[in-house]
Amino acid sequence: MTPQMPAWLDPSPWLDGRASTHADVERALRCDEPGPRELAALLSPAAHPFIEVMAQRARALTQRHFGRTISLYAPLYLANHCTSGCAYCGFASDRTQPRRRLKPPEAEKELAMLKEMGFEEVLLLTGERTSHAGFDYLLECVSLAAQRFHAVGIEAFPMTTREYGLLAEAGCSGVTVYQETYDPRQYDRLHRWGPKKDYLGRLEAPARAMEAGMRTVGLGVLLGLSDPGFDAVCLMRHAGHLQRIHWKSGITLSFPRLRPQEGNFTALFPVDEAWLARLVFAFRIVLPDVPLLLSTRERPEFRDGMAGLGISKMSAGSRTTVGGYGGAEPTTEGQFQVSDKRSVPEICAMLRNRGLEPVFKNWDSAFRDASVRGHD
Amino acid sequence: MERQGKAQDEWIVGGHRFSSRLLMGTGKFQDAETMVGAVLASGTQIVTVALRRVGRIPQEDDMLGPLQQLKGITLMPNTSGARNASEAIRAARLGRELSGSPFVKVEIHPNPHHLMPDPIETFEAARILAAEGFVVMPYMPADPVLAKRLEDVGCASLMPLGSAIGSGHGLATAEMLRLILRHARIPVIVDAGLRSPSEAAAALEMGCDAVLVNSAVAASGDPIAMAAAFAQAVGAGRVAHRAGLMPRGGGTALATSPLTAFLSVEDA
Repeated sequence: MTPQMPAWLDPSPWLDGRASTHADVERALRCDEPGPRELAALLSPAAHPFIEVMAQRARALTQRHFGRTISLYAPLYLANHCTSGCAYCGFASDRTQPRRRLKPPEAEKELAMLKEMGFEEVLLLTGERTSHAGFDYLLECVSLAAQRFHAVGIEAFPMTTREYGLLAEAGCSGVTVYQETYDPRQYDRLHRWGPKKDYLGRLEAPARAMEAGMRTVGLGVLLGLSDPGFDAVCLMRHAGHLQRIHWKSGITLSFPRLRPQEGNFTALFPVDEAWLARLVFAFRIVLPDVPLLLSTRERPEFRDGMAGLGISKMSAGSRTTVGGYGGAEPTTEGQFQVSDKRSVPEICAMLRNRGLEPVFKNWDSAFRDASVRGHD
Repeated sequence: MERQGKAQDEWIVGGHRFSSRLLMGTGKFQDAETMVGAVLASGTQIVTVALRRVGRIPQEDDMLGPLQQLKGITLMPNTSGARNASEAIRAARLGRELSGSPFVKVEIHPNPHHLMPDPIETFEAARILAAEGFVVMPYMPADPVLAKRLEDVGCASLMPLGSAIGSGHGLATAEMLRLILRHARIPVIVDAGLRSPSEAAAALEMGCDAVLVNSAVAASGDPIAMAAAFAQAVGAGRVAHRAGLMPRGGGTALATSPLTAFLSVEDA
């Protein structure tokens, strides 16, 4: 049965706004408090000729809110075991690739290597909850990471509020849960089996994480699965809904784009670079103070161009294979293909050349300790 | 507490004398060299550094290292990123350890998007840190009552916002700032929201003791030149304040038929 979208996700601004006119786009660009309707106008075909204007606006807003800096973080894949059957994912349970997880000492080695590379923020990733890599395993890895890193985030399976609370206590400050697509019919078709089939369970996960005291929740859609304008408007709705209820937590948004995976899934709604760029500019205009992230899925030239042009945070030197940094024998296939294979010093040099300071430490573990122990 | 030093128009905060009335933030710059250049060009004597940007071991993007080399600069660690009093207090203690400075800018903003200061948590943190001997400079909403409450618990200065951090909306809170100034016994520093040197001058003309800027310099076209421009504007605003602005025009011309002709001469 197709899941029901909650009323607060209301995608109607896209359904009405995709046919926006030139004048609608101009109005959206002049609007003081742009909302979903303006976002829809900026993503409509009529906005295409405005891409340069949007880029200029995005750069000015990014500079105002984030300065001439780009925050850097590193993903660490802990395990690629999975029980879900996501049609587009390299880790789906019907893929034949070898499965493994890092043993805690191996994870420690990988963490030490990332620390050596200069990182102060790490994102730990796993697949769906399995007996190989379940909650207790993740909790242990978070504790290990928190000993070395000021900021620790996770991108794993949806959890209960209590579980998120335990992770926060162990030093986790960020949770990333992409809805992949907000279109319930597409969602149901693409998530063929497994726990991820639960659309609403996933949709409510960010709210549970915030309720448990997580500082930051990362949202996003996997571009290519559904009508990207529809998903963009719903993404903005989701962010707004969370901000109104959980006002003490922050939101970040990412824009992963479907790339070739094992299993040869082809994007149903392919998104090209120009459209992706316009999407980032549009989100910067409607949500000027929300960090926007770009991963190494994208090619170097695109990442270079987008740094500071809406994008305020990037991963660098990423490996998407389990054991990829050298702490263990790496698996052969990553979750996605890394297009920007440059090293961390190369990324830093590129950013500096563009007048942007790479920032590794933008957080302090003192805040984490205080939330656990209080001030006395 | 004395608000102004007699000689050379100094101002005093927490028992320390300063002649520059421009405080500088250090975030948002494209590199450490530009940041240091701007700090020098501004002639500032107090710079604030976010603890969250300071490493335990010096790193390339570390903010503290280059600033500690500069002579005549008082470091003021800030607790930016703290969501509540507990977090700010921990950050303040750690900041004092790392910088060796007793100054702390208490900055508590539970919402990471608009970064508005939390008055309740700020009051609580300020109370505890002042009792611990810190020179407490609270970043605060432009609220005249909160200002007095913070003064009463031993803050060394007040740092009300002109408008939202990074907004560049200038002195949107001017009316509230005037009320704060009218009653303050400790220095008042406008922190956040300024975009142009003329707004800094206006704050000083109004009677503020100093201003703190960061984005206005770091995100400008030429941060070093802009820092110098702010220094000049702050100087001009201060001189103008001491000189005393002429009264606003329009109210002193006499009407040909006086309204007070009925008054008896004997009673005058």
